[in-house]
Amino acid sequence: MATQEGTPKENESKNVSQPLCLSTLRSRVRAYIDKHQYDSAIFWADKLATLSDAVEDIFWYAQTMYYTGQYHRAIHLITSQKLDKNYAACRYLAAKCHYECKEWQEALNILDLLDMSFTRSTSAMNTSLSESVPDSELTLSIPNCENSICLLRGKIYEAMDNRGLASDYYREALRLDVYCFEAFELLVNHHMLTAKEEHELISSLPFASQCPPEEADIVKELYQSRLKKYDCPGKTDLSPALIPLKNNLDVIVSTAEQHLYNCDFRAAYKITSKVLSKDPYNSHCLPIHIAILVELKNSNALFYLAHKLVDYYPDKSISWFAVGCYYMLTENFLPARWFLSKATNLERAHGPSWLAFGHTFGVNKDHDQAMAAYFTASQIMRGCHLPVLYIGLEYGLTNNPKLAERFFSQALSIAPQDPFVLHEMGVIAFGNTNYEEAESHFLKALDRVREVSREMLPERWESLLNNLGHVSRKLGKYEEALEYHKQAEILCPQTASTYSAIGYVHALMGNHSEAVNYFHKALGLRKDDTFSTTMLTNSMDALMSEITACDGADEDPHFQNLSKSQRKRVKLTDLFGNITKDETIDDSKASFDTTDHEPFAESSLSMEEVEMEECSTS
Amino acid sequence: MVDVPSLDLKQVKSDLIIAQRECYERRLVHAAKWSAEMSRALVVKVDSRSLQQVDEPDEFWTDYDSYVLAKSYFDVKEFDRAVHVLRECNSPKPYFLRLYSLYMSDQKRKADNMPDSNAQSEVFDNEILKILQSELSEKHSKKELDGFGLYLYGVVLAKLDLHYMAIEIFVESVTKEPLNWAAWMELARHIADKESLLSLQLPQHWIRSLFMAKVYMELQLHEDALSIYRTFMDRGFGESSYIVAQVAVTYHDMRDVDLAVQTFKSLEVMDPYRIENMDIYSNLLYVKEKKSELAHLAHKCCTVNKYCVETCCVIGNYYSLRSQHEKSILYFQRALKLNSNYISAWTLMGHEYMEMKNTSAAIQAYRRSIEVDKRDYRAWYGLGQTYEILKMPSYSLYYYRKAQTLKPNDSRMVIALGECYQKVERLQEAKKCFWKAHCLGDAEEIALFKLANLYATLGEKEQARQAYTEYINQADRMLIHNHEDLSRAYLYLANYYIDHKNWDEAYTAAQKCTEFTETREEAKGLLRTIQTRRLHDVPITPGGMSIDDSMDSIAPTDQFNAGAPRAFDRVTPVNLKFTP
Repeated sequence: MATQEGTPKENESKNVSQPLCLSTLRSRVRAYIDKHQYDSAIFWADKLATLSDAVEDIFWYAQTMYYTGQYHRAIHLITSQKLDKNYAACRYLAAKCHYECKEWQEALNILDLLDMSFTRSTSAMNTSLSESVPDSELTLSIPNCENSICLLRGKIYEAMDNRGLASDYYREALRLDVYCFEAFELLVNHHMLTAKEEHELISSLPFASQCPPEEADIVKELYQSRLKKYDCPGKTDLSPALIPLKNNLDVIVSTAEQHLYNCDFRAAYKITSKVLSKDPYNSHCLPIHIAILVELKNSNALFYLAHKLVDYYPDKSISWFAVGCYYMLTENFLPARWFLSKATNLERAHGPSWLAFGHTFGVNKDHDQAMAAYFTASQIMRGCHLPVLYIGLEYGLTNNPKLAERFFSQALSIAPQDPFVLHEMGVIAFGNTNYEEAESHFLKALDRVREVSREMLPERWESLLNNLGHVSRKLGKYEEALEYHKQAEILCPQTASTYSAIGYVHALMGNHSEAVNYFHKALGLRKDDTFSTTMLTNSMDALMSEITACDGADEDPHFQNLSKSQRKRVKLTDLFGNITKDETIDDSKASFDTTDHEPFAESSLSMEEVEMEECSTS
Repeated sequence: MVDVPSLDLKQVKSDLIIAQRECYERRLVHAAKWSAEMSRALVVKVDSRSLQQVDEPDEFWTDYDSYVLAKSYFDVKEFDRAVHVLRECNSPKPYFLRLYSLYMSDQKRKADNMPDSNAQSEVFDNEILKILQSELSEKHSKKELDGFGLYLYGVVLAKLDLHYMAIEIFVESVTKEPLNWAAWMELARHIADKESLLSLQLPQHWIRSLFMAKVYMELQLHEDALSIYRTFMDRGFGESSYIVAQVAVTYHDMRDVDLAVQTFKSLEVMDPYRIENMDIYSNLLYVKEKKSELAHLAHKCCTVNKYCVETCCVIGNYYSLRSQHEKSILYFQRALKLNSNYISAWTLMGHEYMEMKNTSAAIQAYRRSIEVDKRDYRAWYGLGQTYEILKMPSYSLYYYRKAQTLKPNDSRMVIALGECYQKVERLQEAKKCFWKAHCLGDAEEIALFKLANLYATLGEKEQARQAYTEYINQADRMLIHNHEDLSRAYLYLANYYIDHKNWDEAYTAAQKCTEFTETREEAKGLLRTIQTRRLHDVPITPGGMSIDDSMDSIAPTDQFNAGAPRAFDRVTPVNLKFTP
């Protein structure tokens, strides 16, 4: 639209063959359009079209109709005079009108007329327009019409659920005009490309030929900062080319998004709330902010934000997404589903809503429904590994490790560096008692995470450390296991499962008093933990059979007033000898082993844990 | 091992004045109060005026306005406003005050949101603590924290249950800033045993001795604590109400009730409106069952400050003494509402619930008490008792054992432990325990009797005989007359001697049995058996097989009870005994 509005001034000076009143009429029409007084514009444009028979005036008449939402009238005006056959701009306008009326096929039909020449050779696309409709330049000079048409085609195909073609056309549009941010944004935000493809696209774009040299770098970096960040946590530093734009909100928001995926929610929250205080409805920032609010469980702020959004933008999917997230956060899953499906109805390609929709089922252990939602999401967000990861997770939760593994490896093929996927792979390997493999997966994930976080790992990775602890324990490396669990405890203090895991390792190491201590702590936090209860009883028995009866009771009973001959020493130590001791310990060990696999087999990142953090894109 | 470095009183006094100032500037009010108290008790002339002049960095003066405003906000408990005002300040004092206010606001919010002191706080909202933790740990790794900042870091870590780290940080804090008494106190709370105390690298400073005394007290090393306090009192702190109170509490822990009461009375004279430690005093009055004095104390505390943990505990004790357990629980709950980390209220509440036979509530109360401080042996003991009532001896075994480790020289714990071992059929350990209890000078003299019973059930007759004899001797010495136990002891002895054909001893014992109503009938039967069997035996047995020294006979009773049957005795050989 911007390109069309920018043109009138040039056109004005060209057609002055008519009486003078025509040119004033024209400028009046443009002026009214500029002032958004479309009804006045349409009135005068109508008069102008009657007075003159120039194609340009009719085009502008149709344009005003488009502005006032009279799409079919505009289409009729253009097609009745067969302008769409000869003039690319008119064709584009007609197709656009059809698009607005959601008449996808008609829009395509109109474009296809034009395209006969187009598709002949894609390499010659730049020149094809002038070849097929040589007269269009004479009257209407809307530059880059071909790129707009590509974009429109992409949008139409996307609306028709033909994502493959849609992404092809978006890419084409971007190649024709590297400044065409809309195509880029649609590609990125709708997750049409995998991270690798995105990078390939960026590097293949003809920045050098289309941009002035000083701009090429900055445009590229700007795009780069928008690229997918969900495949792997990365650095949050600004690239040097963007330094002059460091106060630009978009650039700042990109940093926040990176923080979000690095699980540094508080840093991200700081940034987004600053951005939103400057620009309260920044559409790029809002989804990230909502995701952070969910992560930080700040339901109050989310409630307020969702309310405002619904009041101001009731027809945007993001508003209803926010409402759905609020209900999900407050664990009202029915309304959450309702609002999330409303969001997906408004915009089918709203991936996060689909993911959140799946989560509402997943949390309630309704795995089939959850998977259905994730599958839809995976079709929509082809370039994003998250839906696949979640599907794998659901399969894992429904005891289907084979399928789960398959989906995880698919996710891994999309995002080979993502620690979340590596972690899940490790959990599956753990479940298959393949501990060495699990350990290597976990360690890889840990390396990834360590690379980006400075001093402290984000809390999110507590389960990774704990799982490393479990694996080390399984491999008999108790010291290491303890070390990992202790680190997990530091990341996320006062967690019952960590305490019972530490207690368990201590029990296996024979440190019964420590074990009892930790099981107590665990039970203090989570009373109905059967594992800790049984382990506590075991350890207590082991401990009590191990230690002396009471402090300082080393001496044997002896009665002073007995004559020596009659003193019969009762050797308690003999009765309490090694044999019994060993037996009890063996006993307890045996019982450890039987209870072993039961409590920790499901020690994967449970649904609640991974959930939601990544639904941050709109 | 307990040595107090010589105190340079001038230095000490000026240290205390500086400590008070520094703590108060940072709104560590309790530490400031303590320093001021100590300082006032010390009568030494120093130049107080020059000590009040401080050089602050320039940075501080740029933050000055915000800092002063924040201090005022803090004083009226508007912590969040203080945090907001100080958000841009970076010089040490305002920075500390900001984080401290943040911490306080979190604590206040948690206290306000606490549903009921009895209900478990299931939801752990550690958001703010984690923010503090990450900020402070970052600063710490950059070595930008001063002594006070480290103290706050330690407090946050302790709140998050990261005790090992907390101890390290506190040690670092007191090394950097030895005058911050709050850090010493926090450190004292985290020391579990003597080994860990000795392993700490503490700065050489006079204040360290007071810390050591405090820790010794907590670790039940009363003599060591007392000797330090006495030294301080001799060197000029005689008028310090803090030290006198500590001495009184130590006497209380030593179960030296009279001395403790006496010390508390002198404390009352010195500092009549003191509420601190008065709950301990009320415990003493409770033990001594001095109803009127306890009532007086309760009323006095109530007029001084009604809403204060100590007051609530005193009143709770008062109602407990009057057996109004519901009311007393109410007051303990109020105390906990005021300060959910007040251990003695948790423990006392547990006792009250035990009185009311509400075991699950008692367990919860005791557990909370242990959560706050693992060294509270009364709570461990209480848990043991509760689980005993619940018939879970293996659990109570553990708890008693814990209590016993904390208080190794208390016979009550050992006996309880022994009984538990008996219940889980681990009689050897039980024997050990009872013997240990006996050696400790068991106040109620049941250990020996229980030990004897144990031998009897184990069929170790000889041991049983010795134990019973010893029991009877001791009971006689201590003038304790528990009829049931004594009668059982005599009965056993009588049977034993009959089995060993020691008719004389058997006769004496049986004779004693007749003195008790419980065993009279049985004893009569025994006497008859002895008579008939002795007559039967005498011809067969050669006279005077071995004459025992009468050491282990139940001699003491013999002389006094030479009644009618005695005459009968003479016909028979004396002290005849068969040795198998």
